[in-house]
Amino acid sequence: MSLLKASVLSLSFGGVQAIKDVSFEVSEGEIFSIIGPNGAGKTSIFNVISRFYDLDAGRIEFDGRDITKAKDHKIAALGIARTFQNCELFEHESVLKNLMIASDVHRQSSVLRDMLFLPSVRRQELEARERIEEVIDLLDLQAYRYEAIASLPFGVRKMVEIARGLCLRPNLILLDEPSSGLNPEETEDLVFWIEDINRELGVTVLMVEHDMRLVGEVSHRVMAMNEGEVLTTGSFQEVRSHSTVLEAYLGGGHG
Amino acid sequence: MRFLFRTSHTIDLALFQHSGQVFWYGLLVIALLTAPLVLDPFYLGELAQVFIYAIAGVGLMLLVGYTGMVSLGHAAFLAIGAYAHARFMTWGMPFLPSLLLAALFTGFVSMLVGLPVLRMTGVYLAIATLALAEIVEQVLTHWTSMTGGFRGMRVPDAEMLGVALDAPRPFFYVCFAVLVASVFAALNLLRSPTGRAFVAVRDSETSAVSMGISLVRTKTLAFTLSGMFTGLAGALFAHRIGHLAPDAFTLLTSIQLLLMVVVGGLGSMHGVMFGAIFIGLLPQGIALARDVLPQGVANLPGIEPAVFGAILIAFLILEPDGIYGRWLKIRRYFEEFPLYRKDTFKRQQRFLSTERLR
Repeated sequence: MSLLKASVLSLSFGGVQAIKDVSFEVSEGEIFSIIGPNGAGKTSIFNVISRFYDLDAGRIEFDGRDITKAKDHKIAALGIARTFQNCELFEHESVLKNLMIASDVHRQSSVLRDMLFLPSVRRQELEARERIEEVIDLLDLQAYRYEAIASLPFGVRKMVEIARGLCLRPNLILLDEPSSGLNPEETEDLVFWIEDINRELGVTVLMVEHDMRLVGEVSHRVMAMNEGEVLTTGSFQEVRSHSTVLEAYLGGGHG
Repeated sequence: MRFLFRTSHTIDLALFQHSGQVFWYGLLVIALLTAPLVLDPFYLGELAQVFIYAIAGVGLMLLVGYTGMVSLGHAAFLAIGAYAHARFMTWGMPFLPSLLLAALFTGFVSMLVGLPVLRMTGVYLAIATLALAEIVEQVLTHWTSMTGGFRGMRVPDAEMLGVALDAPRPFFYVCFAVLVASVFAALNLLRSPTGRAFVAVRDSETSAVSMGISLVRTKTLAFTLSGMFTGLAGALFAHRIGHLAPDAFTLLTSIQLLLMVVVGGLGSMHGVMFGAIFIGLLPQGIALARDVLPQGVANLPGIEPAVFGAILIAFLILEPDGIYGRWLKIRRYFEEFPLYRKDTFKRQQRFLSTERLR
C-alpha cells in the first residue's frame, strides 16, 4: 500500500523550474531515497511535502488524504516528520526540551490549564517524558539530555534532530541529507540507526542523500533526479547503472 | 559544587530543583514579608515600584526573551491597564475584580493590535509597536470624556475587606502578592506546551512550523499574555502614582521597560527581577549623581534618557546575557575555582542555518 503518493508535481520560482512533472509513490514500511546532483530539486520536494512551498500543479496524498492544500503546521500532526540539511534545532534549549516540543504535537493544551499547571498537565508531562525516554534509548542520547544544543558537536545535533522527528511519532520521516557533515564513522552508524527506525518503530523513511554507500546500504528503492525531472526509479543497482543517471553525474559521452 | 542526582522524571518538572533553592527563595520571601515592619514607608513605596516593574517585566520577558519579538511600545499596555482600572473603579467596581478585568481588557486590546502587527518581524515590528504607543498616547490625550485628557484623571482609593490599600504597607503586600502570582503563572507556562511553543518560535520558526506549531497562534498568544501582565502592572501603577496623565506613559517608559529585560538578562525570570531592581534604583542613582556632577552637566535636561540609552548599548555590546548571565558566570567561577576556563561561556560558532524558506 502506498503511504505517500505524489502525482505530477510542478513548482517554479520565477523562470526557474525547480520540479517538473515529478511522480512517485512511497510504500508503507519502505526506505525510499532520492538522489541527484545539486539543484536537482530534491530538497524542493521535501519543502513541498512539508507545505513550505505551494505547488504550481500536482497532487500529494498521504495516507489516503489529500495534503496538497493542508496548512504547514498541520503536517506534523498528520504523521510526517522531517529533518533539515543544516540542522534546525532550538539552539538555546536543552536536548530534552527540543524533544518535548516535538512530543507536544499530539497534546491538547490550553493556556489557562498550563498557567495553573493543573494535575492533568503534570500527568501529560510525565507521560510525554516516558515516551521521549524510549527515543533517547533507541538513539543512545542519554549523555546529552540536559545539554544545550549550542554546546553539542554537529554529529550529535544531527542525531538529536532525528530523535526530535521521532518524538512526533510519525508514520513517515523525511531525512534531508542525514549524513552531511558527519565523518565516515558516524555515517556508518547512521546505517544502523536508519534501519532501526525503519524496522523497530515501523517508520517509513524518505531520504535525500549524496553518500552513495549509505543510499546503497539502506534503500529499498531509489529515485534519481536531475534538473527537476525524474530520471529513473528502481532498486539501487538498477538506478546506478542507468545510462541517464551516469550522464547526469558524470556528464555526457560516458558508457 | 552541587551535583543533582535525578532519580525520577518529576524532578525535571519541579519549580525548585533542590532544597538549596527552596531555602534561599524561602528566606527571600520571609525577608520581603517582614520588610514593612522595619522599613520606612518611602522605601516600601520604592520596593512596591520595583514589584510593579517586575510584573510588567514578566509580561515583556515572555514576549522579548521567550518568543523573540521586540516591542518598543509596552508603555501603551501599561497605560491601557492603568486607565481601564481607574475607569472601572470610578464606575464603582471593587478593587480586585477591577484589577483582573483591567488585565483581561489589556490582553484583549493587545490581541486585537497583535493580529495585524505580528505579521511583521524584527525592526519592522519594533517600529509598529512604537507607532502603537504613540497612537495610544494621542488617544489618552484627546478622548477627554474617558481619560480626562491632558489634565488626567484621579485614581479612586482602593479598599478591600475594610482595609485601605493605598497606604504604603497594604499596597506593598498587594504588589508583592500580584508579583508572586504572576511569576508562578509565567513559570508554569514555561514548563508546559504553551511556553515551549514560544521558545520554539524564538529559536527557529521553520522548525517550529514543522513541529506542528502555528506561528500566528503562538505569536498572538504571546503578545496577548504579554499585554495582560503589563496591563496588570499598569493597574497597580495607577494606584502608585494616584493621578493618571498621558505624560506618565511616554516612549521613555517603553524604553525603560525594554531596558529592564535586556539589562536583567533575556530569557530568564531571574533577569526580570534583576532588571526591575536595576531600573527601580536607577532614577535614585541619577538623582544622587546630579549632586556630584558639575552644575552645567547635572542641570542638562534629558540626562535620564541619555543614561538609559548608554546603559542599553553598553549591555548589548559587553554583556548580552545581562545581569543574570553575569551572575551565572561569577557563580561558575567560584564553583570551579581555580579550574575555571576563561572561555567557558564563549559563544560557539553557529553552524550554517537553513536558507530562508519564505
